[in-house]
Amino acid sequence: MTAVIETVGVGKRYGRLWALTDCTLSIPAGHVVGLVGPNAAGKTTLLNLATGMLAPTAGTIEVLGGRPAAGPAQLARVGYLAQRAPVYAGLSVADHLSLGAHLNPGWDADLARSRIERLDLSLGQKAGTLSGGQCAQLALTLAVAKRPELLILDEPVASLDPLARREFLQDLMEAVAEQGLSVVLSSHLISDLERVCDYLIVLVASRVRVAGPVEELLATHHLLSGPRRDPGTLPAGQQVISASHTDRQTTLLVRTSDEVLDPAWTAAEVTLEDLVLAYMNEAAGRGRHNHRLEAQS
Amino acid sequence: MIWLTWRQSRIKAASAAVVLAAFAVLLAVTGPLLASMYAVSTLGTCQGDINACGAYADDFLQQLDASHGGGLILGAGTYWLLYLLGFVSILVAPVVIGIFWGAPLIAGEFEAGTHYLAWNQSITRTRWLAVKLTLTGLAALAVTEALSLMEAWWATPISLAVARGACCSPLAMNQFSPLLFATRGITPLGYAAFAFALGVTAGVLVRRAVPAMALTLAIFAVFQVAMPLGVRPHLFPPDHTIAAFSSFDSLDVPIENNTFTAIPNGWGDQPEAWVLSTGAVNTSGTPVSAVPADCLQAIQAASGKASHPALLDCLTSHGFEIAVTYQPASRYWAFQWTETAIYIALALALAGYCFWRIRRRLS
Amino acid sequence: MIEFHLNGRSGVAPYLQLIHQVRQALRLGLLREGDQLPKVKDVVAGLAINPNTVLKAYRELEYEGLAAARPGIGTFVTGTLGGGSLAAHRPLRRDLQRWLARARRAGLDDESIEALFVSTFRSASEEGIA
Repeated sequence: MTAVIETVGVGKRYGRLWALTDCTLSIPAGHVVGLVGPNAAGKTTLLNLATGMLAPTAGTIEVLGGRPAAGPAQLARVGYLAQRAPVYAGLSVADHLSLGAHLNPGWDADLARSRIERLDLSLGQKAGTLSGGQCAQLALTLAVAKRPELLILDEPVASLDPLARREFLQDLMEAVAEQGLSVVLSSHLISDLERVCDYLIVLVASRVRVAGPVEELLATHHLLSGPRRDPGTLPAGQQVISASHTDRQTTLLVRTSDEVLDPAWTAAEVTLEDLVLAYMNEAAGRGRHNHRLEAQS
Repeated sequence: MIWLTWRQSRIKAASAAVVLAAFAVLLAVTGPLLASMYAVSTLGTCQGDINACGAYADDFLQQLDASHGGGLILGAGTYWLLYLLGFVSILVAPVVIGIFWGAPLIAGEFEAGTHYLAWNQSITRTRWLAVKLTLTGLAALAVTEALSLMEAWWATPISLAVARGACCSPLAMNQFSPLLFATRGITPLGYAAFAFALGVTAGVLVRRAVPAMALTLAIFAVFQVAMPLGVRPHLFPPDHTIAAFSSFDSLDVPIENNTFTAIPNGWGDQPEAWVLSTGAVNTSGTPVSAVPADCLQAIQAASGKASHPALLDCLTSHGFEIAVTYQPASRYWAFQWTETAIYIALALALAGYCFWRIRRRLS
Repeated sequence: MIEFHLNGRSGVAPYLQLIHQVRQALRLGLLREGDQLPKVKDVVAGLAINPNTVLKAYRELEYEGLAAARPGIGTFVTGTLGGGSLAAHRPLRRDLQRWLARARRAGLDDESIEALFVSTFRSASEEGIA
């Protein structure tokens, strides 16, 4: 499968601060990719690099095989929804559809109209009077109706109430199923994305901590608990992501492609939330003991 | 993109249309009245050149200033007020456009975050900016020049009076006088272009509309003061000549400690020229300010007024004249084109900077 | 046409839940051979889940011989589940209802009934009868 976003050592610096450091990713097409990390981790920076709103300070980034925002053809292939879904407050819903039609040669007017009808949005209503959820839906319609190959959304549901959030994701997934879109969406809450993502990137403190298909990540990460023991004694090939100890017991989150054969350990299922939190904690250097074996590279 | 620019500017376009219409109506109603006032005046009915009719020119302008309106509906110096209103409108139009059309053009998008929406449609940022700048900029130029042309039409009787020899009413302004030079011809185009480009650039730099508006106003004001005072007089090297006292309509010679200063008013030889400076010189052409001994008696005779006819006669008899540094009237259009070109060049440089800035991938 | 639902907290992978619900529906006669399974786009629009999840479930059903995809049209049920015909269900259901009535008359509460059934079911399975 071709990569929708390909970065090699990409970094972005503002003044003396590196907002994004040495990111190497190869995001495959045909997936809904979740970009998760705490606030100020660099998610928006990475997405802005992908849409061409920013130029990298270091490294390279390629989107759908081309340079981001290189020209009208490249712009037509990528749809973008910024944080808080900005729309023109003084323009009506119908005006926004006209905007899309005038500025996008690939505009699908029937799709746009049917979506607006289904969303029950009044065409004459000024966008400034729409609710947060309705704004997000309008912006999504604009992004989707230009028939892009890749859709990038920056924290699309962060400011929405639970019902609006659910409806937005339902709509988004329907568009993905219908048009075969690839999607990259960011959030600081994994719970928003758990249902919809099948590829995960965890970004903490400007670096990519882990990236891969959700299925593979869940299969290769294990929560091991057993009698108290030094994580350094684990066999090579088992990378400890996080560890916590009581006086009698050790609990480890471990990444390994092999089976865990040691009978002393009880293995439990890892949820995506556990996994993301473990990587976030590891990056923050928290936890009573944080040993790391050199991972097989 | 043309559609979007229009759609986003509908209210601005409407308000401009209203202002233009109101201005036009006001001028269309009062213009013919003014013209008929001219037609029935002593000046209007006088056939002949400056020597024949010059005296009536000032009379006509006095009429406009005075409390009688020549039997018309308007009175009490209304035409003077309207004339002033015209100047103010044309002087103010560029900066108002710069503030309300220029500053929010890009800054408004940044503030609302809608540049994320606009820059991710299938057109490049360059094209987006080019269309917005060109359409709105051309509209700005058109509005300002329209005001100027309408005003010039309305004031034809006044311009005629000045051309035919009016000298001494405050309405009798020389074509180079700051008010007139800045509101007639093509200079309004230059100011409008510059003020608009300044507003847009301020918006791109500051990224918020209200501070950008303030910045635009401040910088434009500085330019509009500096240009007539410091730059315009030096655009072309001035001419020099020596003229007799009699070639001026009037000459004041205030005295101080037996030295005099010559202050001429209205140069009859070249009424449309721009007089930059004058000074009394003696027969050999060197500046002179000391009152010659034999003229001192003429001073005693006066009663402290600045105008001393006897003294003037005495000074003339010594061969004193006035050295004039001036720009001839024939250079009027050279000045107009040069000044407009300077402002347009500034506007284009600012616009170029905006393109560079936007393309540099601002988030 | 059946409708899917998801239990996010059950710990069971979503695609397995979908497969399970199809199999359940087949057993209960809610789905018969030739019926169309819900379209992928309708499933994701209802549940807000990834389309690949649904595709995976349908592929698995195809692999088990229970369904077949017809490109451009949809996915259709092709097989049945051994579990006896529906005709066998009715008398069994009646017997079960009678047994439940007897258990209640004997004074068993819901938990006791469930525990009795489960332990009997388990030991019977181990003996290889089921």
